[in-house]
Amino acid sequence: MDWPAFLPLFLTAGVEWVEAFTIVLAVSLTIGWAAALGAAAAGLGTLAVLTVATGGALSAGLNMQAIQFVIGVFLLLFGVRWMAKAIARQAGLKPLHDEDAEFRETRARIGRADWFAAWLVAYKGTLMEGLEVWLIVVAFSLHSRAWVSNGIAALAALLVVFTTGLAIRAPLRRVPENAIKFIVGAMIVSFGTFWTLEALAGAVWPLGDWSLLGLEAFFLAGGQALVPLVRGRRVAAA
Amino acid sequence: MKALLKTLFGDARNVAAVAAVVAVAAALTKTGHAAWAVVAMPAACLAAVGWLARS
Repeated sequence: MDWPAFLPLFLTAGVEWVEAFTIVLAVSLTIGWAAALGAAAAGLGTLAVLTVATGGALSAGLNMQAIQFVIGVFLLLFGVRWMAKAIARQAGLKPLHDEDAEFRETRARIGRADWFAAWLVAYKGTLMEGLEVWLIVVAFSLHSRAWVSNGIAALAALLVVFTTGLAIRAPLRRVPENAIKFIVGAMIVSFGTFWTLEALAGAVWPLGDWSLLGLEAFFLAGGQALVPLVRGRRVAAA
Repeated sequence: MKALLKTLFGDARNVAAVAAVVAVAAALTKTGHAAWAVVAMPAACLAAVGWLARS
């Protein structure tokens, strides 16, 4: 069981599944719950196949240092943009993600679409939102080989989100999405920084794996310090 | 395909920011200053996040 990875995986997956659920909910009003959930299940099945295929392909024939470097860089690519968007939203430079607006836009997009077009919207929505979950599960699993427990983290989040959503039958608007994205972004940037430098320079971190906690604290505090700086620069420019 | 690439890499600014961070770490490591990379790389990451947040 890869416990350090469980929380960031669970939270990352949770945020993405909330967005997927909004799309599935909107589609269900056109084609019914059974069909909409069937489309979501098909999207999840595609993601499962993608995860297994990618893991197998990436594991075969590569040395661990190269894998660690590639994973570290991908986590940096993912984490910095999550942190940047969360900070920009917190600073008021971008609007907060609005599940109600997403719901209305999906309803408008479906419009008078036929049954299959609506089904495809739910399938594609689940697949697209799940791609980020796929990336994080593969990245963490290649490093720790804990494919099953990391998959369980993602599935646990799916279960929580969809059962909550099915219980209330409405967009999950009270999830503090921006705060979660900021915290998870900082975690992922921490892992990405740690693994990339370890791949380049060997065991260079002074406290070994415990340095991850220090990195997380640094990025959380530093990220919050950036909010007024980012807000202030844009006000000055205006 | 476009959605997959965007999920993996983000936009061009995102790639440029991370490339700069990795370049800082690689340069310090290759010149025998890996211990400084422990400080410089997180700082460079945070600077990259700030730059992306402003754009």
